[in-house]
This record gives sequence, C-alpha cells and structure tokens, in this order.
Amino acid sequence: MATPIGKEREVKFLGGAAIDGAPVAYIVVLAAVVAALAFIPFSVVMATGGSFPMSQAIYSLVGWVLGPIAGAVASGIGTLIGVFLAPHTAGVAPTSVYAAVVASFAAGCMVVKGPRKNWWIIAAIIGVGSLLVFLGRAMFINGVSIAATFTGSFGQWLGILLYVLPTRTLFAKWISGASIPMLALGLFLGTWASFAVSHVAQSAITYWMFNWPEEVWVMLAGIVPVEYILRCLIGAVIGTGVIVGLRAIGVVKPTNATY
Amino acid sequence: MRGSGAHLDMKNGKGDRMSDVIATLENVSYKYPRSQDFVLSNISLDICRGEFLGVIGPTGAGKTTFCLTLNGIVPQFYGGRFFGSIKVAGMDTLDHQISAMAGHVGEVFEDPETQLISTSVENEIAFALENLMIPREEILARIPQVLSAVRLEGTEKKHPAELSGGQKQRLAIAAALAVQPDILVLDEPTSQLDPVGSQEVFATVCELNRGLGMTIVMASHAAEEMAEYANRLILLSKGELISMGSADEIYSQIELLKENDLRPPQVASTFYSLSQKKVYLSKTPVRMSEGIEVLKEVRQKCEIHSQKSFDSTVSYSGSSVLSVKDLKHVYPDGTEALHGISMEIKEGEYVLIIGQNGAGKSTLVKHFLNLLKPTQGKVEVGGVSTEKLSVSQLARRIGYVAQNPDSQIFNATVQDEVSFALKNLGYEAEEVERRTNEALDSMGLMEMREKHPLSLPKGDRARVVIAAILAMEPEIIIFDEPTTGQDYRGARYILEISRKLHNMGKTVIVITHHLYLMPEYAERVLVMGKGTLLLDTSIRQAYHDIDLLRSTYLTPPQAVLLAHALSELEGQKLPAILTPEELASCFTCNGDGGSHGNA
Repeated sequence: MATPIGKEREVKFLGGAAIDGAPVAYIVVLAAVVAALAFIPFSVVMATGGSFPMSQAIYSLVGWVLGPIAGAVASGIGTLIGVFLAPHTAGVAPTSVYAAVVASFAAGCMVVKGPRKNWWIIAAIIGVGSLLVFLGRAMFINGVSIAATFTGSFGQWLGILLYVLPTRTLFAKWISGASIPMLALGLFLGTWASFAVSHVAQSAITYWMFNWPEEVWVMLAGIVPVEYILRCLIGAVIGTGVIVGLRAIGVVKPTNATY
Repeated sequence: MRGSGAHLDMKNGKGDRMSDVIATLENVSYKYPRSQDFVLSNISLDICRGEFLGVIGPTGAGKTTFCLTLNGIVPQFYGGRFFGSIKVAGMDTLDHQISAMAGHVGEVFEDPETQLISTSVENEIAFALENLMIPREEILARIPQVLSAVRLEGTEKKHPAELSGGQKQRLAIAAALAVQPDILVLDEPTSQLDPVGSQEVFATVCELNRGLGMTIVMASHAAEEMAEYANRLILLSKGELISMGSADEIYSQIELLKENDLRPPQVASTFYSLSQKKVYLSKTPVRMSEGIEVLKEVRQKCEIHSQKSFDSTVSYSGSSVLSVKDLKHVYPDGTEALHGISMEIKEGEYVLIIGQNGAGKSTLVKHFLNLLKPTQGKVEVGGVSTEKLSVSQLARRIGYVAQNPDSQIFNATVQDEVSFALKNLGYEAEEVERRTNEALDSMGLMEMREKHPLSLPKGDRARVVIAAILAMEPEIIIFDEPTTGQDYRGARYILEISRKLHNMGKTVIVITHHLYLMPEYAERVLVMGKGTLLLDTSIRQAYHDIDLLRSTYLTPPQAVLLAHALSELEGQKLPAILTPEELASCFTCNGDGGSHGNA
C-alpha cells in the first residue's frame, strides 16, 4: 500500500456526544442493561427486606468499560430507572443509586498508570470511612459484639482490604491483559473489591436507618460471602464475554476504559 | 488519481466549475487505531453538487470508511491516523464537530433496524432536528416535507417497527433529509432489503437526485441499479481509488471488475462474453434498455442457435427427507401465513425457495424445525411427523443457517462455537473433538480456531456458523438468505460451501432473493407467494416464468430478460437460458467484425 502523501493531521474528538471520553451511546446502552438487570432479583436482603438486583454484578464492569465518571453516570441512570420500573429490587432507593455510582466509580479508578492513577484514593476514603462508620456504629453505639461485627461484614472488609492494597492494581492489570483466564479472575476479584466499597458506603446509611440487631449480624456472616461469590461470578462471566467481544469487534474504546 | 464529476450534466448546475464542487478530498489516507494497514490511501476526489456518485469495491476496499469520512465520524469518533483533508461545503471535517457536519452530510447505513430509535415516524424525523436545536415550528414544517419526498405520507403516527424493510430505510433517508444536508451518503442501503424494498429505496434516491438535485454518494453492490442511476462511479480496492468514470466506463471493464471480485451488470457480462467470441460491438452496454438495442446489432452479425438445449430436468429417486401435506398456519393475531401447502423434498436435492417478503418462506421453514406447529396439515422429516420430534431432535437432523450469522454466535472462540451444541447434546469428549476438528477443517477454519468469531469478516463468521451446524452432521441444511449483506465474493463463497455440502450428499435448501447467483447451484425452485406454493419446477422453467415471478415481486436475472427479448426479436422460442455465458453461447459470429468494440 502506498505511503500517505497528505499531511498528517491531529485527530481530536470534537463532538459533544460524550462524557469523559465515553460516547453517550455507550452510556445509554449500558444504563439500559443495568436497568434491565434490575428486574432480576438476585438474593434476599437481610434486615431491610426486599431483594438485591442482579445489576449489582455489573456495576464494576460498567466502570471498567466506560471509565470512572461515565461508568458512574451509566450505573446511576440505569439504577435510577430500575428503582422505578423494578421496585421489588430497589431497596432503599436513594442508597441503591448511590451504591451503583460508587461501585462503577471505584472500579473505574482501578488503573495502573496515567493521570488518574491516584483517583482510587477518593474511592478508598469513601470505602474506609464508610466501613469505620458502619462497624463503629455497630460496636460502639449498638453494642454488637466484635466477633459478630467482623464475621458479619467479612465480605465488605475483605473487599476494602483488596481495594486499598496493591491487589487493586494487580486486578486492573489482569483486566487489561490479554490472558482470558486472568481477565476472568481479575473481573471476579476486582468486582469483589470495588463492589465492597459501594456496599459499605450503602450499608453505612442503611444501618444508620435500620440498626439491625446482633442476630442479623450472625446470619449475615454466612450469607454475605456467598452473595459476594455469586455476584462476582456473575460479573466475571458477563464481563469476560463482554470484554473479549469488545476487543474482538474492535469497537471504539472509551478514553478512560480499563479493559 | 483525482477526479471530478463537474463535467457531468447535472441539475442546478449553475456557476463555474469550482462553485459546483460540494466536497473535496485531498490525498486522504486513514488508518484505524488497531488496523495494520491504511484503510484509505491517498484518495483525491471532488464531489459535485447534484451528482450521484456510486462507490463500488469488494469487502474491505474502504467503502464504509470513505462514507464515514464525509461527516467526520472518521476520524473524530474512531481515532486513528489521518492524512490529507476533506472539505464539505467549505468545512474541514477535522476542524468541525460531527454535529456541525451533520447539518451538511446526512448518512444512511446498511441496516435500517439499527438507525431507528424513536417510537413514531414523526419523532424519528424530529430527533436529529431537536438535537440541532431547530425551532419547533420549523420541525413541524419539515416533517411532512420529507415524508412526502420519500413517499411515506400518512405514516406519521406509526411506530417504525410497523413499517416494512423498504419503508424503514426510506424513513432513515427522510430523517437524514430533514436536516437539509448538502450531501446524502448511503452505505449499502439496500443490501438488507428484499427486492421490493430495494426498488423503493432506489426509486426514492433517484427521485431525490434527479428531481430535487440532491447530491448522492452511495456505496452499493447492486450493479444493475448503480448502472441505471449513478452519474459517476469510483472503484476502491484495498483503500485505493483505482478507477473512476461513468457507469458505462467502469462496468464495461469486466476484467478490472473480476480482478476486484466485483460483479458487473449481467447485460455487460453477456456482451463481454460475446466479445470474447470475436463479436465486435460498438459499445458494451451496461443497462437493460441499451442491451436490447445492442442485441439487435448482434443479430445482424451473428447466427443464433435456437435449437441449442440446456439440461433442465430435475429427477431425484432418493427417499423423501421432508414432506409437507396440506400445511396451513395461522398466527395468533389471525394472519394466515400458509394456505394448504403440499410438497416433498428428496434426499440429496438442492432446492431454492423464492418469494417476496411475507410470502411464507420463513413460516414454512420454521415448521421443518418444529419452531412452529401446523394449524392444519402435516410435516414429516424422514418419514416421522414433527409432532413426535422435539426441537433438539430435529436440530440433529436439520441445520439452520440464519440470515445474520451474528445472531447465532455467542462463544469467545471459533472452536468453542463449533463444539457448543455437541457438548450440550452430551456427546463424549472424544466425539466432540473429532466432529469439531472435521467441521473446522472442512470450512477452512483450523487456523482461526482460537480467534473470537466476531473478530472475523462477515463471510468467515457465516462459515463458523456453518461449521457449528456441520459438526452436528445433519442430513438437511437450510440457508436462510445466506447472501444478504455479503459482497459478490462473500456470496459466492457461501454458495460454494452449499455446493460442497450438496456434493457430500446433503440435502440443501436455500432461501434467497438474489436470483442471479443461483443458476450454478440450485436444481429445483419453489416459488411462493402470499402463503401458497405458486410453482414447483426446475430452475430453468421457474426463471423463465417471468410473469409469475413478477407477480411475487421477483425480477429474473438480466440474462433471462435478454433471452426473452431476443426471443421476441426472433419471433421464436429460444432455449431456457439462465446465465450471460449461456446466452453468448447461442451466437456464432458470421465473421463480420463490424465496428471495433471496447471489450
């Protein structure tokens, strides 16, 4: 093929139909997917009642596909629509929307390098701060035993730990890497870590509202890890297919996507 | 190569040459972010106001990319490396937002389904205008104007889903027109449509161009229609502009077209075949009307073998593999889709099913697969009523290749895709491996086994689906519109696979609207119309029943029409000719070379 004889031009995205480098069309599509998955109940919610929506499994994926801001927008809009269309999984509606935004933002901040390599600190402050509020209220105000508190919140604090430690960047590396098994593992563990940030952010508020007793904490000890495993499995299965497919068809990658 | 259509006689052709130029491409080269090579390479071209510029080329030639450069989607949306410049209406496509360019360049894409997003026809047209902040009164004024231009008056309140394929594509054109662009760019707008829809779209575009002076840029494989309507054609190959000229100039270069896997209009092929027999022609016609005139010229110079015969018998003595008796089907909404159809397909046959959309072809085929139950009548597969067979049992005996291969692909590698059904049907691991390898090998997919199916070109994706079906070792394989959306090379490739399967002893059933592709493959034709079986005969007899074909909105290939025209000129019945080569073989030149032609 002939060498170009024209002058090379600087290629800029001049269109306004994008948020933080992610085309609005992508945001709309993923918001619609989040809203659709909100119809599917995934697990019962102890203490506050209702059920979790399956869309929780893809909040993190949305963050990795669109980036932290566009991902948060997509998950937030999708969940907002979901709480009206599928109230059976809405829980405490405002906190559900908040959690969706935080999860996608936290996932989108899991980057190895670049100008946003320190954005994770914002998500970590939200996560750690919320965890302290959540557990502190249980132990020091409501008098729940330390053992019950820590076993009942095992999924959350393990996730926060995975998020603040360098494991965060390791997962991001796997998600952006070529190996499909490592991609799946990165999605599984990355979903655990980033969802935990949003989970504690939400739990800090709902616990303040409902103050569930120690018996519920004990029950949660058995249930929460199972829920996390299922949520992360769903995220990994859907995410692996989506990311491998997106790479294969060569669709335009949003500027701040992790994959 | 640089070219301009300014010399062409065009509507509204006022002012000097330069004022007629609406778009200019200067040494345009472009590479997508992940592509190895340049998709467009050093393209220089002027597009003139009011012209109909046809863009032709094989798959991968850069036609779609070329179309997308005109409103800045390439490179602004896709990124990549861009060289040179494109100016449309004086605006550089790299210096202006896509939304600003959208006011000057309207784009219509291949699949109408992917372009319509609103809940009513009028909302669809208003959508772009609202985004461009056009005042409400102006929007309300433009809606009836553009609906009238595409002949969709009265559909304002309809949901786009209620429209036919051709109407949907015309709605997409109307939505693009509403912005009042300087150029209307259409990328394969008819490739997904049936003949009626395709005719509707071409008629609309022609009216816009010739009646309203709209500048049209259209990429299309529809050679006969492009020859009819385009003022000028450019031929792209591997991103380079390798030829440019009028339809007569381009489509008469048969060798060039063949080199680039392009199909010339059959009229041109016919007279090219004649020129190969040293029949000298004043020109190689590319349109039907001209073809008939040149045919008169050829009659003066050559002898016609009216007694020449071509094999037209269809006789199969094998056992019946599919039988339908008095089949009726009424959909839940009361639509009577099939009215008492009876027919039988024997082992090893190659059957073509044709008919307009809504003729009942798909409804009939769904009964073979037990996806629909007869309202009345009986369907038997291998002598067993489908009532007694489950869908999975039938899936082992009948392979179904859907129109869009992507709808049947959902695994991450080619190998997983091919082995998916086998694993689900509980075959042993060794058997799964054996059958998968055989299927991959027979479809030439071994080297691609680890690739993601969606990373392959469309023709190869179709092969993946066929391999997955072959792995099931079915007795019957049904291809539902396998050539839709494929270029000539891709279409021939898939049909060659069908031939290979037929030679392996499989019973092959093909549903298609592309009649010109089938003479080399099909033996028997079932013509359907309005839920009835209108004709069941050999392909030669079926293709020459022109009135019946037209009654179901099918157009026979131009070679057949030329043969009929010749019969009328001769006043005697000629053999049932199907292809340009067969028609040419009916002539023997007297030795009078006449004026030297251009072939």
